[in-house]
Amino acid sequence: MSNDFSVVGPKIYYTIHTGIPILGDFNITETLIVSWLVMIIITGLCIFLTRDLRIENISKRQAFAEMLVEMGNNFVRNNTGGNKFDKLIPFVSALFATSVISNLISLVGLRSPTADLSTEAGWAVVVFIMITATKIKTNGVGGYLKGFTTPIAVMTPFNILSELATPVSMACRHFGNILSGVVIDGLIYWALGLASAALFGLIPGVVGNFLSNIPILSVGIPAITGVYFDWFSGCMQAFIFCMLTVMYIANAAEEG
Amino acid sequence: MGDFQILAKGIALAGCGIGAGCALIAGIGPGIGEGTAVSKALEAIGRQPECKGDVTSTMLLGCAVAETTGIYGFVTGLLLIFVAPGMFMGYLN
Amino acid sequence: MQLQALMMLSAENTQELVTLVPWTFIATIINLFIQMFLIKKFLFKPINDILEKRKNLADKTIREAREAKEEADSLKDQYEDSLTSAHAEAAKIVSDAQKEAQSKADALVKEAQEEAAGIKARAAADIEQERKKAVNEAKDEIGSLAMDIAGKVVEKEINEADHKKLIDEFINQVGA
Repeated sequence: MSNDFSVVGPKIYYTIHTGIPILGDFNITETLIVSWLVMIIITGLCIFLTRDLRIENISKRQAFAEMLVEMGNNFVRNNTGGNKFDKLIPFVSALFATSVISNLISLVGLRSPTADLSTEAGWAVVVFIMITATKIKTNGVGGYLKGFTTPIAVMTPFNILSELATPVSMACRHFGNILSGVVIDGLIYWALGLASAALFGLIPGVVGNFLSNIPILSVGIPAITGVYFDWFSGCMQAFIFCMLTVMYIANAAEEG
Repeated sequence: MGDFQILAKGIALAGCGIGAGCALIAGIGPGIGEGTAVSKALEAIGRQPECKGDVTSTMLLGCAVAETTGIYGFVTGLLLIFVAPGMFMGYLN
Repeated sequence: MQLQALMMLSAENTQELVTLVPWTFIATIINLFIQMFLIKKFLFKPINDILEKRKNLADKTIREAREAKEEADSLKDQYEDSLTSAHAEAAKIVSDAQKEAQSKADALVKEAQEEAAGIKARAAADIEQERKKAVNEAKDEIGSLAMDIAGKVVEKEINEADHKKLIDEFINQVGA
């Protein structure tokens, strides 16, 4: 039982030396492995849910799958107002599913891929590109560039900053929430381990030595904090990320 | 390792620690903001109890967005505690 | 210093806590799009197909129900029409029968009248004939009587032809 507390980044399992200057070496990290696992879980779930589809006398499984699809459709349609963005539905659903499963996978002791800034940055950049593309499609390149000079030309740098702040804030919000969960879970486990070591160390002799090495208090108590930091925070952040994605894109299409 | 280096490292570590502490002041804003949001939401629910579901979900969304600044502070604090010392140590060695 | 030592130690096999790794970044984006494709293929396509099919089925059922209702309505209309026409027909039959009866009665009456008129006419003709006959007879009687009288008066033998001529002249003068 270590008395030191540390929060470390994802483990690097294997490094492929690519020699590409800017990108550097390709590291197979815990993030990538777990995100592949998440993809396998989601795809497996999809295949499992859509097995044996029927029109009448549907099973509970099919009802659940239909509920998920309806939820996805309604989420996008209600927030954009109409069927204009139906192409976004699979993207937003994939984003949400990946995010939720990634956040909740920490419950089984794996490291969330979302506790790595690169993951959220990737998503946020994709969303940012989509927002920009929608804006350019709506207003044209000239209109898009002109949008930066409103209300007056002096505001241009601030407008550019606020434009760039969108992906940064989206990524950091999600990342920070999940990382805070990781850190606080780590802190709680560490503190409970120390506490149980101190508590059972009071028992003299071999029994005390043996018991003090087992973090008995760690069983059960972290589940209570996990309700907020894993379940609530994980679902909420995934929801907010998708909500913001849809709303930003819908707003981008409305301008002009 | 000379005395100067040890002093420099000590100052760097102290700066990181103080900075992390200051960064977490950012938690005050979201705390106040979320408190206001929740109190207003409770008032709304008190006035119109039939809107409880809508008000609650919107409030949660707003709270989560308002929490962003606090999260920024938290991330900054984490950076200062876990990343910055290593960086400074690398420079100072 | 212990912290630093730990960080040095862990730097061997972990990446930093808050950092951007380009390859992870790229891999995440690719993963996201693969995930999108997979979700689209394995969840949205089949479920949307099924929902579409069910919607079509429901539409079909509603359409069929509507058609059945329309058919029932048209049948009802038809029945009502036929009922009305039956009523009309009955009324027509009754009126026809009445008309026929009336016409028959009229015809009968007319026939009877005609017959009566015929009888009357015949009777009148008979009477006329009788009268003529009686007149003729009376003429003949008068002729013969006059001949007798004339014969007796004249007492002279004249031939039958002159005789007759004389009588006729006389009768004509009398009859005129």
